[in-house]
Amino acid sequence: MELLDPIILLQLLIDGLLAGALYALLACGLNLVFGVMRVINLAHAELMLVGAFAAYLLYHYLGWHPLWSLLLVVPMVFVLGFYLERVLIECVVGRPLLTSLLATYGLSIILLNLGLLAFTSEYKSVPELQGALVMGEFAISKPRAAAAIVSVLLTAAVFLFLDRTRLGKAIRAVSEHAQVAAICGIDVRMIRMLTFGLSAAMAAAAGVMLTMIYSFSPESGADFIQKCFAIIIIGGMGNFAGAFYGSLLLGVVEAYVGGFASSQWAEAVAYLLLVAVLLIRPSGLKGVAYAKPQV
Amino acid sequence: MPNRKYKDLWLGTALLMLAMTAPLYVNDYYQSFLLQVFMMIALGQAWNLISGMTGYVSFGHTAFFGVGAYAGALLLLAGFPWWLAVLKGGGIALLLAIPLGLLTLRLRGPYFAIAMLGLNEVGRIAATLWTDLTHGGDGISLAPDLLPSLRTNYFSMLTLATTATLIVAYVYRSRFGLELRAIREDEEAAEMVGVNTVANKVMAFVLSALIPGAVGAVYAMYTSYINPQSVFSPALNIQIIVIVLFGGSGTVWGPLIGAGVVMVLRELLWAQFPAAHLALLGVLLLAVVLYLPGGLLSFVRARPQGRADSQVRKTP
Repeated sequence: MELLDPIILLQLLIDGLLAGALYALLACGLNLVFGVMRVINLAHAELMLVGAFAAYLLYHYLGWHPLWSLLLVVPMVFVLGFYLERVLIECVVGRPLLTSLLATYGLSIILLNLGLLAFTSEYKSVPELQGALVMGEFAISKPRAAAAIVSVLLTAAVFLFLDRTRLGKAIRAVSEHAQVAAICGIDVRMIRMLTFGLSAAMAAAAGVMLTMIYSFSPESGADFIQKCFAIIIIGGMGNFAGAFYGSLLLGVVEAYVGGFASSQWAEAVAYLLLVAVLLIRPSGLKGVAYAKPQV
Repeated sequence: MPNRKYKDLWLGTALLMLAMTAPLYVNDYYQSFLLQVFMMIALGQAWNLISGMTGYVSFGHTAFFGVGAYAGALLLLAGFPWWLAVLKGGGIALLLAIPLGLLTLRLRGPYFAIAMLGLNEVGRIAATLWTDLTHGGDGISLAPDLLPSLRTNYFSMLTLATTATLIVAYVYRSRFGLELRAIREDEEAAEMVGVNTVANKVMAFVLSALIPGAVGAVYAMYTSYINPQSVFSPALNIQIIVIVLFGGSGTVWGPLIGAGVVMVLRELLWAQFPAAHLALLGVLLLAVVLYLPGGLLSFVRARPQGRADSQVRKTP
């Protein structure tokens, strides 16, 4: 293989961007929660897998196409996240970061092992929408393209929601300064519940898309949470747009490492990138310095 | 309070005596069980040293255990005597911890936890991919004639648990320990009064990597077979954290109590619901974090000396 063939380079770039778009949907949700409540949700990837397994069940028993099951799964997980915040996350908001890390770690252990009990550690997949679009010299995998398009649309929709609507403005206000937001008459607790629900719904949507591309098991969460962390460190913690660019960057770097070295090393890229960024700039590339919990 | 100090000393000595004489009157099954309790005590104390004392949660401590296990197994195969393999296992984990600590402990707050979270995974990937050294996913089997007896392993593990506990007890009372707890309570304030926070954190981290390394090596000799999944094990990681928090993090007795109670619970639960036991550990972790921040020890001692976050700041 001619390594520096422009066609291969471009093909890898396309693959990387497609993968990155899916990461973006996942990582933006994680960053949203961190921004609003200063809680790092270690169970985020498990929420994604809740979406993935819901889509798997719908496909397996009812024959639903994953793109259709989005319509059912995403609202359901939104409600789940909404109430999860109320019973669990609300208890740790404003407490030291250690407490919220450990609490969400506990949640992820519970979800992971319930997943193992229900589905075993066997890998599942949803073999729907296969094949590739061939355009000239390039081949674009259909499921990846579909996942990337849906992911970009959803991420853009959430971004516009945060940027343009009144409710979105309230969410941004809480993430800027919760106490002042409360003084201005914003129901901070409701905002936190909504935000967590939104973040869980984004994770679940990513999970549904994931079923079309990868085979997955309850234990797949670990890889994805690692990628998310690399992304939000690159993009800056709590920075929604930063997470988007970080995702595309990680996707592309993984594609090149997978293409030129081996796909197994591509798994470790996220971690190495994370450590490298922390070494150079301890507050992330987009540089939102870590602030003490002020909620 | 000198009284309590002596009471702790007497209680500790009595427990140690009991543990040392146990092989005389219990069968192999209980010896094995006690060995695992000692292992969890040693690992818990090591985690306690960095995470309990400074509040910097390490989600990747099992990585040092895994490195020690591989180092111990490979050194044993290379013909070193078992005790040297154990010491070197600890030494290698320590050497690995120095650059890691220097790198990650300059980071504040969540960044350290995030950087450590993936370490265990990286260890597992490395152990799987580096087939020339580690035999990859096939793992390493140790021939029975190379291995020390169960009783030797029992005493090695007991020694490690005792050493780890004594280190924590010593650190707890020393100026170094006071500085570590100052970092936990308020790092900026600690820095302001002249605590060299980075040096202290790195020191605690390196010390806390030494024990899991040695424990890993003994574990490899105890089970006689290791593979990447069994030693870079996420389940072990969870157990260490749950045990320390359950007993009372940042204290000397916490990991001892936690290891005793959790291991007995695990033994009982394991028989009845083998699959659900980790999910139950997760529930236990949540319950402790939310409702019992000082751990079991806060029942025993009136004045909570564990986590400071029992005084919760709560706003709208």
